[in-house]
Amino acid sequence: MRYHLKLIGLFIRASAQQELAYRANFLISLLHSLLNFGTGLLGLLVLFEQVEAIRGWDFASTLAVLGVYLTVGAVRDLFIGPSLDALTGINGDIWAGRLDFTLMRPVDIQFWSSFRQWRLLAVFDLALGAGVLAKAIFELGAAVTASHLITFLILLGSGMITFYAVQLAFTGLMFWNPGMLFSWVFNGIFQMARYPVRLYPGGLRLALTWIVPVGVITTLPAQALTGDVPALTLVGSLFLAAALFTGASLLFRTGLRRYASASS
Amino acid sequence: MAQPIITVRQLSKTYRVPERDAGLLASIKSLARRTYNDVQAVRDINFSLEAGEIVGFIGPNGAGKTTTLKMLCGLLHPTSGEAEVAGYIPWQRSGVYLRRISMVMGNKSQMMWDIPPLDTFRVLGEIYHVPAAEFKQTLDELVELLDMGELLTRPVRNLSLGERMKCEMVAALIHRPSVLFLDEPTLGLDVSTQRRLRRFVADYNRRRGATVILTSHYMADVVELCPRVILIHQGSLLYDGALSGLVERLAPFKLIRLTLNQEQAPTIDGHLPPNVEVLERENGRLVLRAGRAETPAITSRLLDTLPVVDLVVEDPPIEAVIDQIYQEAKV
Repeated sequence: MRYHLKLIGLFIRASAQQELAYRANFLISLLHSLLNFGTGLLGLLVLFEQVEAIRGWDFASTLAVLGVYLTVGAVRDLFIGPSLDALTGINGDIWAGRLDFTLMRPVDIQFWSSFRQWRLLAVFDLALGAGVLAKAIFELGAAVTASHLITFLILLGSGMITFYAVQLAFTGLMFWNPGMLFSWVFNGIFQMARYPVRLYPGGLRLALTWIVPVGVITTLPAQALTGDVPALTLVGSLFLAAALFTGASLLFRTGLRRYASASS
Repeated sequence: MAQPIITVRQLSKTYRVPERDAGLLASIKSLARRTYNDVQAVRDINFSLEAGEIVGFIGPNGAGKTTTLKMLCGLLHPTSGEAEVAGYIPWQRSGVYLRRISMVMGNKSQMMWDIPPLDTFRVLGEIYHVPAAEFKQTLDELVELLDMGELLTRPVRNLSLGERMKCEMVAALIHRPSVLFLDEPTLGLDVSTQRRLRRFVADYNRRRGATVILTSHYMADVVELCPRVILIHQGSLLYDGALSGLVERLAPFKLIRLTLNQEQAPTIDGHLPPNVEVLERENGRLVLRAGRAETPAITSRLLDTLPVVDLVVEDPPIEAVIDQIYQEAKV
């Protein structure tokens, strides 16, 4: 564990040095974060100007979903996305054969592939996400108890694991088809997670909960803040996170065996 | 006799390669139904290496050299056969094994592009659990051998190809591997950088007793570094032995370079022995080819019968011999 934490520290340091080499990126990243945050918030403000609640969701609880969405997205942008994206795509490590060097390291390949590249500017997104969450909790007021908060944190954690597992699985598929950017498809669908799944029509709602589980990632933790999550759902989401993590790790490792390396 | 550090038995690798005809229609058809072709990159090869040897792994493009090296590094699983390196099965990729080997690839980089090489070396030092004192000692030694102290703090993307290759060498050796795989390490480098790297590899081999397998298309690399060569062609091993043996076996002839007195040169034809072939002839300079065994007698006769100003007997250039092997694929 200490060894892995030390490596993460070194990866963060090296990534920071790389980011600082390109100063223009800083401003563009800042603009991107503010746009992401602004459009999400603006959408909610416009919506709740007209109505008190939609399908049982009022402004404060919908704001909590946006807060979870921004936080999870920030964690993805902080290290999961940059690390896994470095493997995929044209000129990615799988395509270009640079994975050769990774495979020769005496470290767990999944650990390396998930933590080695950091985008530290995403800390700003993380702060925005936390800010929105804090505001939502403040707006919800007395409805948020200590046990609700604990359930929320557990579901936020399991949602992040689910999110990571899906990203890892899509990355693993690259070993079968290096040209396909599977994770782009998922990232597109994840955009829909900024609103509670109950806002979507029946079929789509079911798909977003059970097939592409973005609902489990953002809506469930937000629901937990008001104590609206049955115990069975809580256990089910933990089980889903564990199953997806195991399945995705298996898929990724099976994919690794298919890696034929790029020709010399 | 010492236990070999690398043993390869009946090692084979077959790739399954998707195939389709040219054109848009064929591309669309391949979406629905893919056809595959099996390409046998390595066929039943056998060899073994003693610890501390430097062996040249030669063959034309697509011969199976890199595939073999990648199997020995644990990057590829073989289709059949066995290999053992330093007591380990490479493709099981145990941590202990990976700490004992390293690979340098002339066409791929393991350096982090935007930051100075020293930072990449530090990360690698941690990954390989190199203690701080040993890290410093190894780095100092490698930097001195490669004369690259001033490169350590410059971003890698600002370095020349030769400078980057020096960094690749340090990155590969920072954990003091006992088996080193060099896959065309001098690719694209200028002549003096090539020479410097060759000297470095020889020094490293001497100092650390590391076993080195080298592939290169530059025969100078092989001639200077490798007392032994393994020749592979179309996946099969054709020759394993001394480089000089390969030349003798494949080129059982010598070249005789003659310079004659200009005025008498046009009259030489009748005086040439029947068992020599004239390869070049220009202004009294001739290059003749003669069988190895007959060369002493032929030289003596040439000196007796012709107005010789200068005479040199030499082996054919190694490049010509290797080219002949690659073209004819037989030894």
